[in-house]
Order: sequence, then C-alpha cells, then structure tokens
Amino acid sequence: MQAVKIPLKTRLKRMTPGQIALTCVMGAVFIWFIFACMILPILNLLRNVFFDGGSLSLVSFQKLFKSSKAMKSLRNSFILAPTLSLTVGLVGISLVLITEYFDIKGSKVLRLGYMTTLIYGGVTLVSGYKFVYSNNGVLTTFLASIFPNMDKNWFTGYWAVLFTMTFSCTSNHMIFLRNAMRSVDFQTVEAARNMGASQWYILRRVVLPVLLPSLFAVTILTFITGLCAMSAPLMVGGTNFQTINPMIKQFADMTTTSAKSLAATLSLILGISTMILLAIMTAIERRGHYMSVSKVKTKIVKQKINNPVVSVLVHIYAYVLFIIYVIPVVLIVLFSLSDSSHISTRQLDFSTFSLQNYASLLQKTSSYRPFLVSICYSALAAVIVGLLVVVACRFIQKHRNSASGTALEYGLMLPWLLPSTMIALSLIMNYSQPRWYMFNRTLVATLVLLLIGYVIIKLPFTMRMTKAAFFGLDDALEDASKNLGAGEFYTFRRVIFPVLLPTVMAIAALNFNGLLTDYDMSAFLYSPAYPTLGVKIKSLTDEMGNSSDGVALTFVYAVLMMIISAIVLYLVYGRGGRDNIKE
Amino acid sequence: MIQLNGIEVRFGDFTALKNINIHVKEGQFYTFLGPSGCGKTTTLRTITGFIEPAAGTVKVKGKDITHLPVEKRNIGMVFQNYALFPTMSVYENIAFGLRVKKVNKTEMDQRVKEMAAKVDLTEQQLARKVAELSGGQQQRVAIARALVNNPEIICLDEPLSNLDAKLRVQLREELKEMQAKFGITTVYVTHDQEEALTLSDCIAVFNKGFIEQIGTPNEIYSQSKTEFVCNFIGDINRLSPSTVSQIAAQTGRQFNPEASTYVRLERIHVNSTRDEGRAIFQGKVTGNEYFGLYIKYQLEFEGQTLKCIDKNDGRQYLRKGDTVEISIDPSDLMVY
Repeated sequence: MQAVKIPLKTRLKRMTPGQIALTCVMGAVFIWFIFACMILPILNLLRNVFFDGGSLSLVSFQKLFKSSKAMKSLRNSFILAPTLSLTVGLVGISLVLITEYFDIKGSKVLRLGYMTTLIYGGVTLVSGYKFVYSNNGVLTTFLASIFPNMDKNWFTGYWAVLFTMTFSCTSNHMIFLRNAMRSVDFQTVEAARNMGASQWYILRRVVLPVLLPSLFAVTILTFITGLCAMSAPLMVGGTNFQTINPMIKQFADMTTTSAKSLAATLSLILGISTMILLAIMTAIERRGHYMSVSKVKTKIVKQKINNPVVSVLVHIYAYVLFIIYVIPVVLIVLFSLSDSSHISTRQLDFSTFSLQNYASLLQKTSSYRPFLVSICYSALAAVIVGLLVVVACRFIQKHRNSASGTALEYGLMLPWLLPSTMIALSLIMNYSQPRWYMFNRTLVATLVLLLIGYVIIKLPFTMRMTKAAFFGLDDALEDASKNLGAGEFYTFRRVIFPVLLPTVMAIAALNFNGLLTDYDMSAFLYSPAYPTLGVKIKSLTDEMGNSSDGVALTFVYAVLMMIISAIVLYLVYGRGGRDNIKE
Repeated sequence: MIQLNGIEVRFGDFTALKNINIHVKEGQFYTFLGPSGCGKTTTLRTITGFIEPAAGTVKVKGKDITHLPVEKRNIGMVFQNYALFPTMSVYENIAFGLRVKKVNKTEMDQRVKEMAAKVDLTEQQLARKVAELSGGQQQRVAIARALVNNPEIICLDEPLSNLDAKLRVQLREELKEMQAKFGITTVYVTHDQEEALTLSDCIAVFNKGFIEQIGTPNEIYSQSKTEFVCNFIGDINRLSPSTVSQIAAQTGRQFNPEASTYVRLERIHVNSTRDEGRAIFQGKVTGNEYFGLYIKYQLEFEGQTLKCIDKNDGRQYLRKGDTVEISIDPSDLMVY
C-alpha cells in the first residue's frame, strides 16, 4: 500500500505541543551534528588544500608532487590496492569453494580456521603475524636455526604487507561471498549436469556467474581497504613500503602548516579515490543480484572432486591455508600463557604455563587502562550511534518521500564516502582551535574528539542495517496499534522499538566489536593521557624485540579481544541470534 | 451505520477510488470483492482512517468521521497477516487497546479473559507468545484484539488469504458463527468469490476503483449487472453468435447475436429430461475433470466449446468421445 502524504499542517495539528518541541529539539541536534562534526570540518580541510593566504591556490598539490615521500606513498598504495584485490580475491574465492562448494574432508574445522579473521583483525592480527614471521619471530627463529645464513629481516616491505593483508582481508568473502554461494540453487547445478556439463564447466558457467555481483562488491571493498591500509604498512612495511595513510599520519604529527596541508591533500586524494570506487560499487549493486527463479529452491549439495589428483592438491591447498590462518592465533594463545623468558626465546614449554600474564594485566594500571579506555569508548560510541540512528531512521521512515528525510539520510551517510583518516584529519584540523559551533572549545587532545570520530565512522553501517530493519518492519503492526487507539510515540515505544530491539542491539554489538581494537582513527584522535587498546598494541608491537613483558601483554590483549569478539559474534550470528541481522 | 458518499482517493496522479458510494446497515456482513488493485482495501482503509480521501465523506451513525484520526475512530480491524505484536504474549496483544485507554487492571483482566473465552482461546494460550500459535489461533487472537475495545464496526482485510485451503474453509465457518454471535457490523475484504458468496449479506464488486455492482450474493451471482461481474464471479461460458441465434430460433426468444452472451456452467444440462422452452443441441464430450462432488465436462457442438458441471450422483459418467444432448434454458442467458 502506497504511503499517503499527510500535509504538514494536518500533521502539526495532530501533534501535542510536547511532541512538536521534541521534534524541533531532535531536528536541531541532527543539524548541529551533521554540520559541526562532519560538513564544517571537511570544508575546513578543503579550504586548507585549495586556499593559501585567502586565495584559491594549488600550492598543496605542487608541494605534494615535489615530496618524494608523499609520491612514493601514493604509488605504493596504488600498487598495493590492485594486487591485494587479486590475492584476496583468489584466496577468498578458494575459501568459499573449499568450505561451501567442494566436498573437502574436515571442512567444518577448516571453516573455523578461515573465520578466525572475524574475531582477530587489524592491529592485533598484524602483531600476531609479526610475532610469527618478523626477524625475531617464531618461524624466522626456527628457520634461522636450520638455515643460519638466511636474511632474518625477510618479512618486511611490500610482500610482507601483501601477505599479512591478504589473510586479514578475507572476512568479507567469508560473510558476503559465502552467503551468495548459499543462495545458489542446487537444481541449476543438477540441470547442468543432466545436460552433460563437466564439474569445471558447471563451476565456471553456472555457479561463479551467480557469485559475480557479490564478488565485484567485495573486490572493490578490498581495493578500498588496500588504499586505506594503515596498520600493516606501519608495522611490517618497513622504511621502503609506506602507503598513503601512514604518510598522512606522519605529516599530521608534524607541527608545520605545510606538513598539515600535505596530509590534507593526501587525504583528499584518498577520499576522491574512495568515492569513485564506491560509485562503481553502487552501480554494480544497482544491477542487482541473480535471484533463484525456482519455486522451491534447493540447498547446495557439496561436490566431490572427481579427479583424484586434483582432489589431493585441493586438500593440501586447503590445509596449508588453514595453517597460515591458525598458526598466529594458536601461538598467541599459547604464548599468552608462557613466562617472559620463554616468550623472548620463542620456545614453548607447557610446564611453565600459567595465568600470570593475565593476572599482571589486572595489577598494573598502565596495562588495564587502555583496555578499559577502549571498552568505554566503544560502548559509549555504540550506544550513541545506535540511538542517533534509531531516531533518524524513524524520521526517515515517516518522511520517506520528503526533502527533510532525504537530507537527513544523506547527511548521516556522508562518512561512507570518506576514509576514516580524512575524517580524523578534518576533525583535528578543525578543532585545533575553538569554534563557536562547538561551544568555543578546542577538542584536540581531549577525550571527546575520539568519541566523535568513533560515532562518525560507525554511522553508515548502522544506518544501512537499521534502515533495512525499519523498512523490513510490517507496516500493519503500526496500523494495528493506531487502530487500537495508540498514538505515535506510544506505538513507537511499545510496538516498533521492541520488535527492532534485537537488531539494534546486534548492530551495537558489532560496532562495539569493531571499535574495540581500532587503530586507524585512534592513532589520530586519542587523548595522550588515555591511549586506546589499538594504540597500545601498536606501541608494544614496535617494541616486540626489546620487551618480552610487552609481548606477553599484547598476547593477553589479543586473547581477550578474541574472546570478546567471539562472544559478540555468537550472540549476533550464532544460534538464537540468526535473525538479528539481515543483509 | 456506515455511509461512504462520493469517496475519491488519489495517490499522486493515480486515482485509486472514484465516486464510491456505499451504505452498510447495522449488523450487516458487508463484503468488498474484486481482483487485486481494484480499490477494495483502499476503501476499507478509508473507513478505518488510514487513508484520508481527497473528496467525499465517511459517516458512521450519521457522524462525519472523514478527518478523524485513526486512533480515535473505535473501528476494529483484523489485518491480512493479523499484525499481531510479536514481542508480546497473546494476553498483551488482546489487552493492548485497553492499556492504551488506561482501563484499570482488574477490568482489563476480566475483559481480556471474557473475550478470549468467546473466541475459544484458553488461559494457557493467553500466556503464550503469538508465534507459538497456529494460523487459526492467531486469527482468533486478532479478532479478540479487535473486539475487546467494543468497537461499533469491525473491518477484516483478507484475513484468510494466507491460510491453506482446508483451514480457510474451516475458519470461514468460524468467522460467520462469530459474526452472528457478536452481531457486530462487519466489513470484509476479499478477492475470493466463494468466500464472499458464503459469508456476506451484501457484496460490493469493485473494478479499477469503481463499484460495478452492489447486491446480495444471489443477485451478484444470478443477476450480474455488468460483463465484468458476470466474468469475475464463478466460471462461465461465452456463447458464440451462431449458438445464440440457434437458441433464439429454437425457443422463439429474441437475442442480439452481436451482444456478449454468457451462461453459467451449472445451467447447462447434459442428457437430462426434455423440458419445454429449452434449446437442444447434439454435441460430443471432448474432456472431463473428476472433482468428486461433481464432474466438469468439456463439450463441443457446431464449433462452440462449452464447459458444464454435472452432479456426481453415480448415474452418469461420460467419457471423451461420447455423444450427448445438451440443453440450455434461454432465461439463464446473461446478455451484455
């Protein structure tokens, strides 16, 4: 049933003065938030790039072209992004085929291994890889004992970044591409086989085309991840392979205006690239997904690989991947139970296992503070963004064809187009001095700025998911409530919100999870007195060779993060929570 | 009881309802019947207040409620998918309207339990979540929820459309009994002609935003006023001009062979005793479909194909290729 537009006058007539006042206050809050926290800082950043001494100028670009460091970082990013898309694509597709399409022995265990990146990513994952492969890493130490002349610094630069990111960026494949694979109608496979098609032909001509739209979308997301890479190049890129984001951070940390404007220009290039890629992705999404046209869709049945040689090779490949995924996680868990002497020698001795490292986390303020800081920030940001978006989505739902509804939606989706570094930089540059629209406060180095940053970067995901939940809601529920005499607010409070609550909570949990070990935004905006977990892990990983206590602490953080993430993911996607999130 | 005068509803440039005039009498079971998109639900939603008409008035007991907000109308409604609140128990669902009206707890409890008993819901079922109930039980909860507020009118929007055939028939009977028990004025929307014919005191047949005919089920079925109604209600045969001419020649009645002439399936007799005034044709059986209660035959004579149904009384079962005598009463023809 098409919505009927009720004239504003009639709507106002039906509202109580309290409701009108509340609507006005909420409207003012949203306008202030969108302008003060997003639009004005971005405009200020653009002003920094395009204006010099009050007049339009391209000096920033000239400086950028002259800076060999900046140009090198740009080139590196544009080398990393496509190669990463390729490697992640190949690994990601093979993971999905191994776990969902081919009949591989032990596929359930393999799937668990491949999914470890869902509970263990970002800066924590890089620190884990560094522990295994870096010059004093477990594997390197082991290999060096066999090949004493080997270059112990082999795990650095482009290949190290590419390797680390390839295995850390397959999460999207394991969520979206796996879902697409599950939507393949098995009857189409049977029909092709019935017509004499071979296994390879069916895979190529029947199954993969169904996956193509999802594959395009995840490839573009990987490309963007490659462009915006931060922790991997910073931690394993070495001096020779720094990409745009670490360079922005480096320039932003300098005190000169010229360095800051270089950082802004780089972030603008990153922003424009992201926008172009997202435009391509949207166009692909608009083409739609292939839907099964069967009246009764059949669940895919795993395919036995007929050729025994190929079958053995695929099994070997599957288990090699499994080992690569699982080794850092297993070692982190095991070494988190070891004492510092064994950590420093990279030797495992089960007789020395204890919970001492965990106990010392609780004993030292400097150790547990980053943990608490991150938990508080993540929880607060998840709640704030959840509340803002629920109110916004309700407004958008009620004003779906009006200019105000559309403006609010676009305003809150704005961060989708912008890399988090650009948002962070714009906030730093804008609030390094008092602004009247921020109550004349300087926000840099305060606790508030990172909170604002966290809320902003979680807006687009929360908007997409919550809006889908709102629009998926049966309109008849609201009609029924009104028909029984309930007003607008009573209906929202008693009928709509309770139905949406599991979804809202699930989204909040995912946001909390995502922010817990954030490094990209925290690196720019954290208050020095209150470093976040991501920042702390990064600094401890940098000292990996010098302090075994630091390494132990990193492992404890990582294990706790994995436990929290696993619990959150179980609650959201696991048994009983399966209907919470609908893509 | 309900008067719709000159109702017009527009969605942008599209006019969904044009000049709808309906008068529903107190205690009547009134059905809006028509194909999808004909405007029957829009009319119902205009009565309940979800849609405000661009023109015309809605009156209940003579009081103009055209611009009264939905929550102030006190018209009960049962939705197509029942719209039961999934987070609430059966009890809370039924009590919802009373809670909104701030009825005190004791009275609310008493009214909910009374209403539940009237619709055959047990106290144990009251404590359950609505998702734990069967389709039939959910329908009863939806009806109880709509009736507990003592509305003057109850509107039902295709409440049986999501159910399987057997349950649909069973609940149709229960619905009719319930309406008789409560004696409440009922407006019912359906696209199912059988449902409309069996349940209603009065039917309004909708087509493309207009009302084609209003009448009792028998009037709608036997004296369809328009070609649309005649085609929409029941299965029907369209006669060719030559067949019409032959009927006219055999019976001495005047028919315009150029007009559209129809005859219902059950009005065609096969191998029956010859009554005076009927046109007789010699034809052949070209197909049969066995339905148990009756048999549907496909017949052919002089280039005209006809369908007819014959009661399965065990005396006659015709096979493909059998020669038959077909008789048609000219007074059964519907000409447009």
